[in-house]
Order: sequence, then C-alpha cells, then structure tokens
Amino acid sequence: MIRVVLPAHLRTLARVSGEVALDVEGTVTQGSVLNALEARCPMLRGTIRDHVTGARRPFVRFFACEQDLSLDSPDAPLPDAVAAGVEPFLVVGAIAGG
Amino acid sequence: MSFTNEEILRYSRHLIMPEVALAGQMKLKAASVLCIGAGGLGSPLALYLAAAGVGTLGIVDFDVVDSTNLQRQIIHSTADVGRSKVESAAEKLRAINPLIQLRLFDTTLSSENAMEIFRDFDIIADGTDNFATRYLVNDACVLSGKPNVYASVFRFEGQATVFAADRGPCYRCLYPEPPPPGMVPSCAEGGVLGVLPGLLGVIQATEVIKLILGSGDSLIGRLLLVDALGMRFREVKLRKDPECPVCGANPTVRELIDYEQFCGVRGAESESTASVPEIRPEELKRRLDNGEDILVLDVREPHEYEICHLRGHLIPLGDLPRRVHELDSSREIVAYCKIGVRSAKAVEFLRSMGFRRVRNLTGGIDAWAERIDPTMPRY
Repeated sequence: MIRVVLPAHLRTLARVSGEVALDVEGTVTQGSVLNALEARCPMLRGTIRDHVTGARRPFVRFFACEQDLSLDSPDAPLPDAVAAGVEPFLVVGAIAGG
Repeated sequence: MSFTNEEILRYSRHLIMPEVALAGQMKLKAASVLCIGAGGLGSPLALYLAAAGVGTLGIVDFDVVDSTNLQRQIIHSTADVGRSKVESAAEKLRAINPLIQLRLFDTTLSSENAMEIFRDFDIIADGTDNFATRYLVNDACVLSGKPNVYASVFRFEGQATVFAADRGPCYRCLYPEPPPPGMVPSCAEGGVLGVLPGLLGVIQATEVIKLILGSGDSLIGRLLLVDALGMRFREVKLRKDPECPVCGANPTVRELIDYEQFCGVRGAESESTASVPEIRPEELKRRLDNGEDILVLDVREPHEYEICHLRGHLIPLGDLPRRVHELDSSREIVAYCKIGVRSAKAVEFLRSMGFRRVRNLTGGIDAWAERIDPTMPRY
C-alpha cells in the first residue's frame, strides 16, 4: 500500500482527509503512483501534472524520505520505504498565506 | 556600541547563555531586519524580534487593520480596526521594547521601491500573503544578496525555510512558477487556523535570530513542513536549481520585473473571474424579486452554507463534475461562492460541459452581504 500526502487544497478538491492509500501494480514510480492517484481521484488530473504533457507542474514538488524527487525521472523507482508503505510520498504545493 | 545597565537587565536571560552572551546580544543590537507584512506571520515575528533586542526593525505594510485579522494577527487589537497596520504594530513594538529603532513603510512593496527599502537591512523576513509579493521579495533578496527568512500558511499547514542564494536555493528554485490565479485558495478564501501563523512566525523569528548570531543550523536548504492538525513537523532537503532564472549560473532575471503580470493577476482575484460571464448582485436581486426562473448554484462547502446562503442549490466545487447531472442546462444558472473565485471555475467547467446560460455572481456572497443584505453575516 502506497501512502500519498496531498496539499490541503487538493485534499479538499479530491474530497479526502489525511493520507491517500493506493495499491500500485508493478514497479512503484512517481508515474505509477500518480496514475493510481488520478484513477482514484479524477478531479486531480491537471492539478499535479500538466493535462497535456504529463509533466510535474512548476508550483508542485515531490518529496520522500526527506529527499526532493521532483527532478527525478517519472519512471525511476521510488525509495523502498515508499514502496513498502513505511514512508509517504509527499506532494507539496506552493502556498502564499501569511 | 555598548549596553546600558537597563539593557543588561532587560536582556539578562540572553546574556547568561554562552551561545548568545554579550557578543551575541551586541550582534542583535547592531542588526537590522525588515519584516514584510504586519499580519499573521509578521505579528509574532516582529514582537519577538523587538523583545529580543534586534536594534533596527523595519515593517512594510500598506493595509489597515480589519476585524477579520484579529483572529490571528495578535499585534493588533480591537481598538486598532481601521488603523494603519504599521502604526498599530509600531505602538505595540515600542511598548514591548522602547530601546529599538523602528522604520515604518506604510506602502505597498513594489518593483519600484523594493531595492531602495531593502538596502538598509541585513535580513528580510517574508510574511506577506500573496504570490506576487513572494516572488518580488525573493528576487529582490537574490539581487541584493540578502537572506530571505520565509514562511507561508494555509488552513492547518505551513512551510518555512531560509532562502540564501549564496549558500542554497532560492524561492524560484523551489517553485519556479506560481499556481494560476484561483487554483490555490488564499487564506481569505480557504481559511487558516489562527494559531498557525503564530507557530510559523515564531519559527521565522528563531531563524532570523540564529542568522544574526551565526549559531546553530539554519533552515537554509531545508524546508520545514508543518501540519498543525496532525501536529507533525516534516523536514525535506531542497536543491538549488542550476537553471534558476534568478540565482542560477546564467540568470535571465537581472532586475525586478512586473510580478503581478508574472503571477497572472491584476488586482488580487479579478483576473481569475474576469474571463467568465458575470452578473452583479444588484441585477440578480432585481431579477429574483421579479420572480424570474434562475437557478442559484452555491459551490461553497456545507460548513460555509451554514454561515449564510442565498437559498441556492448546494454543490461544492469539488463535487460538481460527478453531480453535474443535477443541473438543467436549459435553465439560467447563477453560480456563487464566497468571493467569486471558485464559482468562476464552476462557470468555466459548466460552460465546457455545454451549459450556455450560466454566469458568475460578481464578488460572491460577500458582495451580496455588503451591498444587498447588510444583515447577512460576513466571514
């Protein structure tokens, strides 16, 4: 089970509270996790990845195990701790409130 | 520079710590820190920096105190409503520590004045509330070589770091571009736990003081993610972007730009609502009073509906795609939310689904409460 943490405004959009738990088939990568997330929550399409290009949007970043994975290939395997559900995959978005 | 007996007594709890001591307190007295914003973050930030004895404290804010500020902006009191925020803040800061120098900028920070205002300060602390000013503060800090002690908040979550481009990433390395207007709600639209900016503002004050003292491990290159609801603090490493347009190897941003244009905004949220057909509250009131067949669609959340409503059909924006079948596309529809941003997205969505007779209520229920029904609660 893969654990995904979303920013607050995307949790509201996806109507979820807390972490999202996902079953991912095969190798656990950014791409496969986000595909599973968008299949579960179709309203998130276009908010994390560009609708057309599928690229990460520039006001969103991906982290796991304290590392910034944003510039890694979408097909690169995620850390074992994420694949095992020990650590969450963090989707962090820009916020500006003060 | 030396200390009077009064100062030695005042700062004694610092002076007896070897990590601060007289030399550190002297650094604090010699330091100058500019706080951008006297709001939720700026309130605790400025109060603690004043109490700590930071010698020169600057405050930039163009705004006046509003009653909706008082839930979190603890530097202001009820009696300050309507008063300039910098004046209100200055009074409290002088009361806490009359020994420091205050420099007040009762103005909007802009590309025209930022470099001039930043010039006399060692450290900038960003406590503003919008993306355009955050990119402006970042670029001005990078261009002037000053550290930017950063925090931001939304609902129950906060982010804090120190951007110091000579030693780590800048804000643009983290977020090269802002979200499109309206995609990420502001605190005015989405809310914020009142105590949260207190928590993050105190983290900013701590980082400012550490930078001045040259002690400890600063948040440079680390992003602190605060979840107040789960009371979790996560830390992630940040990477400097070698291609960063402002702090990278080959910068393309060499002077301040038009940040409102960069962020796609002209006047807060007007841009995000301007592209959809609108109806003014006065016209909607007149037509409803005439008994015209208009479906009023409320796209806010149920807890907002409980506060006030126009007896409309409630479908929260996030539910609209799967509940769109509840709406009759042949009827005229007026969508509204709190201030018109979410409902503009609803109108866009409905038009993309083939609805042609759908309009957005200009200014949302807040404008209705202000102009049509003053008895309605505003939030």
